[in-house]
Amino acid sequence: MRIRPLALGAALLALTAAPTVQAQAPETNPAPTARDWAELARLPDWSGVWIPEPYAPAKTPPTWRPEAARQVEIQKAEDAAGRPRNIYIDCLPEGMPSFVIMNLNTTEFLFTPGRVTILNEFDGNRTRRIYTDGRKHPEDPDLTFNGHSTGRWDGEALVVDTVGILPQTFLPLGQSIGIPNNGDMHVQERIAIVAPDTLRFDLVIDAPKVLAAPWKISRVFHRSRERARDIVEASCRQGDFYEDVDGDGNAVFRPIPLTEGGAPLPPEPVPARKP
Amino acid sequence: MHRRLFLAAAVSLALAPGAQAHHSFAMYDQTKVVTLRGVVKAFLWTNPHARVLVEGAPAPGGPPELWSIELSTSPGNLGRMGWSKRSLAAGDKVAIDINPLRDGRKGGSLKKAVLVDSGKTLTTTPVAGQVGYRPDAK
Repeated sequence: MRIRPLALGAALLALTAAPTVQAQAPETNPAPTARDWAELARLPDWSGVWIPEPYAPAKTPPTWRPEAARQVEIQKAEDAAGRPRNIYIDCLPEGMPSFVIMNLNTTEFLFTPGRVTILNEFDGNRTRRIYTDGRKHPEDPDLTFNGHSTGRWDGEALVVDTVGILPQTFLPLGQSIGIPNNGDMHVQERIAIVAPDTLRFDLVIDAPKVLAAPWKISRVFHRSRERARDIVEASCRQGDFYEDVDGDGNAVFRPIPLTEGGAPLPPEPVPARKP
Repeated sequence: MHRRLFLAAAVSLALAPGAQAHHSFAMYDQTKVVTLRGVVKAFLWTNPHARVLVEGAPAPGGPPELWSIELSTSPGNLGRMGWSKRSLAAGDKVAIDINPLRDGRKGGSLKKAVLVDSGKTLTTTPVAGQVGYRPDAK
């Protein structure tokens, strides 16, 4: 095939243009201005420590696909028989949507320019970052326990969209009852103060691999301003260890015996050392 | 006392399954309440569940044995119910109501602890006026 001068010229042009494309500035997070900080004062007041109401998924249960429903029934029977199959194991983050709906401790919110940060006490003091700077989700996000969250303010409500969640995170009905989302989960939330010192998350959880229809569930939190109820450090596995002193006199943790379900057992007595 | 206990604990870990961290309380018989009378050996103020080791017996006059009693929640939540790391201490005489392990091993979940000398009662029920939650929610 004969190379036409025009095509050759276009190819050369493309080659010379390429470095320009590569030099395009990366996206940045611009330094907030005084105005950005001042505008935070116009947002609703979500300060304080928020204590959740009991988790009650039975009020608005999910509509499982048949295979998931079958597994849930087995889990319920095992739990009722005293053989719980715990879903939160090995100190892995609970992830979304458990971060909101199965949270057993307190939570708090931080507002900074372009972002809302949610800090939970539950287990390892887990964190969610919700970007309110107008960015979109990455086209191919790395999958994470809490996913990638973007948010926008709709009046006094924060509307959040979350994708990129690991397929292993559970749709929980309890600590020993729940099915992994198995992939492609999309979580939408509307978070707002709905009564004095009362905040509600309304979630729509679309998990097409295991749910026959999106699951609508809410969680209500009540505010405390008592300093005695401030959030504290919470680790997820410290209780699997005893405090001890090793042969060098150092403070160390030693593992304890547990039942199959994770209940601690008393240490076994040690025969007295020979004099 | 701790050191010897703990060496034994490390050895018997071989019996334990994977780390459970937060767990269901279904392994405790929640239809049965047993009162354990004895002496606190250690109060472990740990996440996600605090624990108390008690040397005592579930029946009057029974031989004292070591029991591991689990509280249903964490120091953060217990603090919000009025507990502190000093609520129980080694040497305290106690009567503790527990839901025992279903399999008969010497463990239980704490329902109520009474300090014999002072008569003070401790529970893991949210205090009056506090928003309720069930740490062991199913």
